[in-house]
Amino acid sequence: MLEGNLGWVVGVNVVIWTGLFAYLLYINRRIRDTENTDG
Amino acid sequence: MKSALAGCLWLWITLVIVGAFLYAPSAEGFIGESSRILFFHVPMAWVSFIAFMHAGVASILYLSKRHPRFDNSAAAAVEIGLVFCILATVTGSMWAKTMWGAFWNWDPRQTTIVMTLVFYAAYLALRGAVQDPERRATLSAAYAILGLVITPFFIFVLPRIGFTLHPDPVVNTEGTLKMESRMFQVLIASGLGFTVLYFWMHNLRCRVQALQERDEAELEPELGSMGSSMGNRHRSSDRSDEVVEARS
Repeated sequence: MLEGNLGWVVGVNVVIWTGLFAYLLYINRRIRDTENTDG
Repeated sequence: MKSALAGCLWLWITLVIVGAFLYAPSAEGFIGESSRILFFHVPMAWVSFIAFMHAGVASILYLSKRHPRFDNSAAAAVEIGLVFCILATVTGSMWAKTMWGAFWNWDPRQTTIVMTLVFYAAYLALRGAVQDPERRATLSAAYAILGLVITPFFIFVLPRIGFTLHPDPVVNTEGTLKMESRMFQVLIASGLGFTVLYFWMHNLRCRVQALQERDEAELEPELGSMGSSMGNRHRSSDRSDEVVEARS
């Protein structure tokens, strides 16, 4: 029962972390594009 | 950051999350699963400490080399350090509610982390208050160097002086390590992952700042020429006023 609950917590944490990571990757790509096009 | 390295970071922290809940055991003497917050709370506090030290070192470099890059680096370090410091405070309060029955108890650790937060919030206020970039950089560098002395005192010395409810740190007051090996493995892995994440975020912030400064430098001549043409227009209107006055 407890393992199942912790499984949910892991799932939610991984989703949040993946979202944050994807956002950082997106910012990284945008910065790189701006650096390449302007400079 | 290269995509492969970023992918490794994603995998690393994902494994830390899985390890924190499904691999490491729950610590004895803690209510329910509350001890698992350790795997996120401690690395966040650690990263905020690294960030504030990073700001101090970058400030020393700024004062010795006078390159704006170091000033930007210090400011970025403080901004990100503050975010992690707030997260460490919030996660600590959540844990305190479970273990001590209240979110806030004015425990020495809670008090010193708030003092650290206020100290570095004042750093950002100082930066916002000074308009001249060179003066702003010099003043904030001196302030961040002061933080280089004060922050270790707040984090490592002051909480150990009096009685505290806070559990012993990872390496406790006796200088020994009392932690189950799987918990220690996950904690170290988490600390490493968060440290790499911090340096990545810092790199992104510095690059954004550099792009903003480049844009401002490109816009300055255009604004200058616009300003001078506006000035000419003013001057010509003054002259026309003089002509009207002379005619009348």
